[in-house]
Amino acid sequence: MLVACSFLSLFILSACQTIPGAHIQKLKNKNYRLIVNGSPYIVKGVCYNPIPIGANHEYDWWSDPNKPWITDGKLMKEMGINTVRIYQPPENPEAGKQVIRDLYQLYGIRTLMGDWLGFWEYPCPFYGDKKFQDKVKNQVIEMVKTYKDEPGVLGWILGNENNYSCLGHVNPWSSDEVDKEPDPQKQKALRAQIYYSFVNDISKEIHKIDTLHPVGLGNGELLGLDSADKYAPDVDFVACIIYRGRTFGNLFKSIRTTFDKPVLLSEFGADCYDAYLRKEDQDMQAFFLQSQWAQIYENLANNKKGAGNCIGGTLFEWTDEWWKYNQDNPQDWSLHNTEAGWSNGSYYFDIRAEGNKNMNEEWFGIVALTPELENGINKRVPRKAYYVIREFWKRPVLKKAPPKKSPQGG
Amino acid sequence: MKKLMAVLLALILMAPAIAMAQEKTANTAKEFVVFLDKNSRENHFIPSGWMGDYGDIKMNDKSADNPHSGTTSIQFAYSAKKSQNQGWAGVYWQNPANNWGNKKGGFDLTGMTKLTFWARGAKGGEIIQKVIVGGIKGTYPDTVSVEMGPIELTDTWKQYTVNLVGKDLSYVNGGFGWTTTADLNPDGAVFYIDDIKYEADPGLKPLGKVQQPMPFYVYADRSSVGNHFIPSGWMGDYGDIKYDGSSKEDAYLGDTCIKIIYNGQATQGARWAGIFWQNPANNWGGVDAGFDLSKAVKLTFWARGAKGGERIEEFKVGGIMGEFSDSDSASIGPVILNKEWTQYTIDLKGKDMSYIIGGFVWAANVDNNPEGATFYLDEIKFE
Repeated sequence: MLVACSFLSLFILSACQTIPGAHIQKLKNKNYRLIVNGSPYIVKGVCYNPIPIGANHEYDWWSDPNKPWITDGKLMKEMGINTVRIYQPPENPEAGKQVIRDLYQLYGIRTLMGDWLGFWEYPCPFYGDKKFQDKVKNQVIEMVKTYKDEPGVLGWILGNENNYSCLGHVNPWSSDEVDKEPDPQKQKALRAQIYYSFVNDISKEIHKIDTLHPVGLGNGELLGLDSADKYAPDVDFVACIIYRGRTFGNLFKSIRTTFDKPVLLSEFGADCYDAYLRKEDQDMQAFFLQSQWAQIYENLANNKKGAGNCIGGTLFEWTDEWWKYNQDNPQDWSLHNTEAGWSNGSYYFDIRAEGNKNMNEEWFGIVALTPELENGINKRVPRKAYYVIREFWKRPVLKKAPPKKSPQGG
Repeated sequence: MKKLMAVLLALILMAPAIAMAQEKTANTAKEFVVFLDKNSRENHFIPSGWMGDYGDIKMNDKSADNPHSGTTSIQFAYSAKKSQNQGWAGVYWQNPANNWGNKKGGFDLTGMTKLTFWARGAKGGEIIQKVIVGGIKGTYPDTVSVEMGPIELTDTWKQYTVNLVGKDLSYVNGGFGWTTTADLNPDGAVFYIDDIKYEADPGLKPLGKVQQPMPFYVYADRSSVGNHFIPSGWMGDYGDIKYDGSSKEDAYLGDTCIKIIYNGQATQGARWAGIFWQNPANNWGGVDAGFDLSKAVKLTFWARGAKGGERIEEFKVGGIMGEFSDSDSASIGPVILNKEWTQYTIDLKGKDMSYIIGGFVWAANVDNNPEGATFYLDEIKFE
């Protein structure tokens, strides 16, 4: 009897014992799961950058005495959000810690911390330059040291769409080594090798000082992941920025064959402004987001229909950002611009807008802002997508959404 | 007088009912005729929608030359003279005549599952680029848009079927149509069409995408029936591009190759340009079409520059994003062309080629071709 009791207590003890922190688990069927404090964790998240009306990206919301994250965290918890994604920590680490603590302690919301990896440095990110590399690496390591012991931290995401710079699409850079190569295709491959090797180097350094949080590679679309497979084996997951409308297409299976890591959809979503009819269309946004979340769930571990390699997503984004269309004109930051900035045929409802420009950068929030103040911050008004995704998370229905015709039949 | 008024009133009141009955006929009938014979009472659509090089078309809608049935068929003589400089031509059967979607007409053909027609060429070998069901847009757009083709005709009558299972046929104004091109018929074509009708066939299964056998051509030669995509997606500075799909300047294989002159003038201010080969033409993902090319492991093509040194930023397969997006994409580039024909390969291993509407694309820019670029392409095919 005594022996039996001892076994029982040992069993109960081991069952209750949890591994602290977060890590990736590879299952026998080669599916991937994110495990947080011993339990499977689906990232149900949002990209969080609560810039108020009238300010731009330089605004230090972390130090806002009205604490917008307190209001937002409550709304997020009510929706079912468990994670926010931050692109870059603030200059004041104490302010950063306070936000992470408040979100976690008050609402149980964890934070994915990011770093731009110098992507926006003038004149361009010189990833082939040792001094530049060291500067960026030190900055990231400093972030990890500062925040790694915060219980609310979930993991690290390195870069965002920095891989586009290797292709020369955005912020193109070069180095002596690259310049010596006459073949432009090989130049691209060389830049990718340099960049992903650098990310891998940072990832290894993080693992040395922090074993409790996974490291993600931020990547625009799937471009360059064949190089990441060769040169960045030490990252724990890939954090993809994807704007493909109703469906992610072959993304999950494709990653299986090119860079077999767990996938976090770290930026995806839809705006809620119909650029063709020139009016807000919350139905359109909700339709795309629900379809996208259904695919995320279909590709979670142990779903036979999917690739089993998705760990969740952080949709773009929590609130609208009114500064985005005319970034250099402060007067414009108080206007909710309806001009579209770019074209994407996957968001087909309003693709017949003038010049096919249908992506309205200032209208991606699942929560609208109004100029009216409430608790010292712009009043939050959840859009239809907020409620639709809330219900989806309660009762996920994975049936693929049928193609929905635009009101114009096109 | 009162009796006459009563009859008139009754007729007026009954008119909508009669019209309703007409519309519903289609729902229960086993067939619905587009065209049988000249002046047949059963004809419901009129071949009024002449398109493209309409001056190249001659129509005889009472040809007594060996009709498939009855006393007449419709003869079309397409001269390929490019009278309107379009390079293609076609005819839509509409209701009412000349209805491009600007007025309410058409029919509710719900319940029909296929369209059948008979066709033959005068000599055999004539190529119809595609036949069309629906697809007219405008204020009153067709609820369906289905295409089939290309079709290489024989010199004897043959029946063709367009599968419409699962399609929304609740409003069809463009009852039937055909198009063809001068490239496909450089010497013109004379062909006959007869007995065009919708049919209700409850046993017909939906047309799933068939895995296409390899090789599968994007472009073989100007007149090849094997050309499956159309170079319709002109992008960026489209005014900078001249396209010749029948260049005889040292073709790599066969009679012709593609010659592209990109002058780099930035006519539209984009500073780049390119062409997508699409199925059907101008399909930016708005039409459920394309091909299942799952068997393809690579796309190969031959290319050369007029001088050598022309830089093409990207050659790509797939990647069109729309309501019906390509299932995947793959690319190579930048490519610096040689003066001699060189074969290039886009690796498709591990790619999902099950739904491809954008068969091939190139893109070049001014920055790397300040004086423009003239280059040639040939034998573009999936293998």
